Amino acid sequence: MENSNSYSPYSSSSVDSTKPSLSVNLSLSLTFPSTSSQRATSQDWPPIKPRLRDTLKSLRLRQRGYNTALFIKVYMEGVPIGRKLDLSTFSGYESLLENLSGMFDTSVICGNRDRKHHVLTYQDKDGDWMMVGDIPWDMFLETVRRLKITRPERC
Amino acid sequence: MDRAIKLQLSTSEMNYFPDEVIEHIFDFIPSHRDRNSISLVSKSWHKIERSSRHQVFIGNCYAISPERLIRRFPCLRSLTLKGKPHFADFNLVPHEWGGFLHPWIDALSKARVGLEELRLKRMVVSDESLELLSRSFVGFKSLVLVSCDGFTTDGLASIAANCRNLRELDLQENEIDDHRGQWLNCFPDSSTTLVSLNFACLKGETNLSALERLVARSPNLKSLKVNRAVPLDALTRLMSCAPQLVDLGVGCYENEAEPESFEKLMAAIKKCTLLRSLSGFSEVAPICLTAFYPICENLTSLNLSYAAELQGNHLIEFVQFCKRLQLLWILDSIGDRGLEVVASSCKELQELRVFPSDPHDEEDNNTAVTEVGLVAISAGCPKLHSILYFCKQMTNAALITVAKNCPNFIRFRLCILEPNKSDHITSQSLDEGFGAIVQACKGLRRLSVSGLLTDKVFLYIGMYAEQLEMLSIAFAGDTDKGMLYVLNGCKKLRKLEIRDSPFGNAALLADVGKYETMRSLWMSSCEVTLGGCKRLARNAPWLNVEIINENENGRMERNEEDEREKVDRLYLYRTVVGTRKDAPPCVTIL
Repeated sequence: MENSNSYSPYSSSSVDSTKPSLSVNLSLSLTFPSTSSQRATSQDWPPIKPRLRDTLKSLRLRQRGYNTALFIKVYMEGVPIGRKLDLSTFSGYESLLENLSGMFDTSVICGNRDRKHHVLTYQDKDGDWMMVGDIPWDMFLETVRRLKITRPERC
Repeated sequence: MDRAIKLQLSTSEMNYFPDEVIEHIFDFIPSHRDRNSISLVSKSWHKIERSSRHQVFIGNCYAISPERLIRRFPCLRSLTLKGKPHFADFNLVPHEWGGFLHPWIDALSKARVGLEELRLKRMVVSDESLELLSRSFVGFKSLVLVSCDGFTTDGLASIAANCRNLRELDLQENEIDDHRGQWLNCFPDSSTTLVSLNFACLKGETNLSALERLVARSPNLKSLKVNRAVPLDALTRLMSCAPQLVDLGVGCYENEAEPESFEKLMAAIKKCTLLRSLSGFSEVAPICLTAFYPICENLTSLNLSYAAELQGNHLIEFVQFCKRLQLLWILDSIGDRGLEVVASSCKELQELRVFPSDPHDEEDNNTAVTEVGLVAISAGCPKLHSILYFCKQMTNAALITVAKNCPNFIRFRLCILEPNKSDHITSQSLDEGFGAIVQACKGLRRLSVSGLLTDKVFLYIGMYAEQLEMLSIAFAGDTDKGMLYVLNGCKKLRKLEIRDSPFGNAALLADVGKYETMRSLWMSSCEVTLGGCKRLARNAPWLNVEIINENENGRMERNEEDEREKVDRLYLYRTVVGTRKDAPPCVTIL
C-alpha cells in the first residue's frame, strides 16, 4: 500500500479500475489508501449536495483563519485601474474566465497560448507569477493573491 | 393522497354523457398517475383525457421527446422535467452528461403551447433557453429550478423583464454564474404579480434598492428567500414592507448586529404574524436567530441546514419553542440532547433531516448525533413519516426500537458516514435493524441503507417492502443474490441506485423485463462488465443503456478484450424514443 504525499489532482472523479485507488483529503494534504470497498472520495461521499458541501468547507476554512470571501485584485496589462473580484463565487476556471472575459470585454484564456487571446496569470503566495489553470481549482484558491491579464507575447 | 374518484358507472354508461361532462369529472383527478390510469380505460377516455390534461410530469426527460409530448397533450400548461440521475448531486455524473432544456423550450415555443408553469430538476438550462422561454409564453407564471446549472443571472434578467405575469421564480440549489446582480432591476415597474421569489443560491452581490422596490410593489408576495448578500438592515426594510410573508429565507450577517438595528429587526419580525416557514441563516451570528423568537411558535417549517455557525445550544434554545413545527432540517451540531428536546417539544413533527456538520470526520467532535437521538425522535414524534439522518454510528437495537415506535414511515434514509460500519455495540451487520424497518413500515416508499450490510438485508427488503419505489444502496451486499432479492421482490420499484456494491452481470441480466416497469437503474463501481451491459442492450431495445466513462476523451473501444472490463458507471432507463443524440464523448450508449 502506498503512503505518500502525492495527490491525484482530479480526485472528484471516481475510480479508474486499472490503477490502485488513492483518495485525497485536500485540506489536510494527506493521502490514505483505499480498499475496493472504500472508494469513496471526498467529493462524492457522504452524499451531501454541493451547496451544503461548500458551506461546510467555507466554515472550516474560516475557522482555520482563511478568509472565505476571496476578494483579489485583477489588472489588465496596459490598464492602470484594476478591478476586484470575489473568487469564491466561481465554481471553477471556466466560470472565472467567462466572467473575466465579460468584465474586461476581451477574450481571456488560460493554458494554450494564442496570439489572439489574452492570457490569464496569477501571483501565488510565494510572490511568483504563474499561468492560471495548471493546478486544481481548490488549490488555486488557497494560493492565488492577485490576477493579471497579460498580452500573449509576454508568456 | 388517494383522491381518485371511484367511478361506479361502467364506461359504456358514462359515454352517454357529453365529453365536456366527462372532462369536468376528470378535472377532479389531479394526480398524474390517476390520469394515466384513466387514459388507459378506453379510446374515448384516452381522447378526452389527453385534450383536457394540463399538468404533465416527466420523471426522465429522455424517456420521451418534446414533439411526442406536445402531440399527445396539446393543452399542456404545466410541465415538470427531470434530467440527470440523482447521484449527479454527489459529483458522480459528468457535468456535460445531458438533460438539456433547450430542445423542450424550442418545441413548446414552435407549437405555441400555452405554457404557464415549468419545474425543472437537474437539467442543464442556458441563458438562451431562458430568454426563449420568456418571449414565447405570454401567460407564463411560474419557474422553479432545482439543482440545475448552465445559466447566469443574464438568463434571470430575461425572465424578469419579459414575463409580465410572473408569479413565481424559485431557484433552489442551482449553480448560477452571477454577473453582478442587476437582474432584479429588470423587473418592470409595472410588475406587481410576484407571489414567490427565491434566489438564496445566488452567490454574488444583490442590488438591494431594486429588491426593496420590487418587494414594496408586490402585495401578493408570500414567499421571499434572499441570498447571503442581503444584510440585516436591508432585511428589516424588506420585512417592514412585506408583513404578509408566509415563507422567509434570510441572508447573512457576519458582524454582530448593533442593538438599534437588532431592535428594528425584531419589531419588523413581530409584525409578520403570518410567517410559518424560515430558512437560510448561512454565515449568521447566533444573535440573529433570537430576533425570530416572537414568531417561532407559529413556525411549521424550519430549515437551518446551512446555519453552520450556529452551535448546538443556540439551536436547542430556539427549537424548543417551535411547538408547531412540522418540518425541521438541521445540522447534527444540535446533538442527541437537542434531538431529545425536539422530541419533547415538536409533537407535530412530520419530516426531519439531520445533516452532517463534519462530513469527513476532521474535527475531534463527540457532539454529533447518534442512534440515541434517532430513537428519541421516533419515541416523541408520533406524526413522523419522513427522515434523512446522517450519523457516525448506529445499532440494530436502535433501529428495531425506531421501527416499533414509527410504523408510519414513508421515507427512511439513514446515512452512516463511514462505509461498511457495523453495529457499534455488537459489531454485527445492520441487516436486522433495516429488516425491522421494512417489516414494520408497510407504507415505505423510499429507503436508503448504509453501514455494514450483507445480502440478508436485501432479502428482507424484497420480502417486506411492498410499496417501495426508490432504493439507494452504497457499499452493501455480498453477492448477486442481494440485488436479485430486490428486483424480484419489490414490485413497485421505480428507481434503483447502487454504488460500490458487489453486484454483477448475473443480477443485471436475470430479469430484463423488470426494467420496463422501472424508471431507471444506476450502478457505479459495481461488478458489471461491458459484456454484460452489451448483452442487456441487445435483449432490451426499449432501454437506453449508458456507460459513463472515466476520462472525457476516450470513447470505449469495441474490441473483445474489453468485454470483461468492469463498467465504472452504468445508467439505464426505459424510453420510447430510442437512443438520444446529445450524449457527450464520455457517454457510450450501447
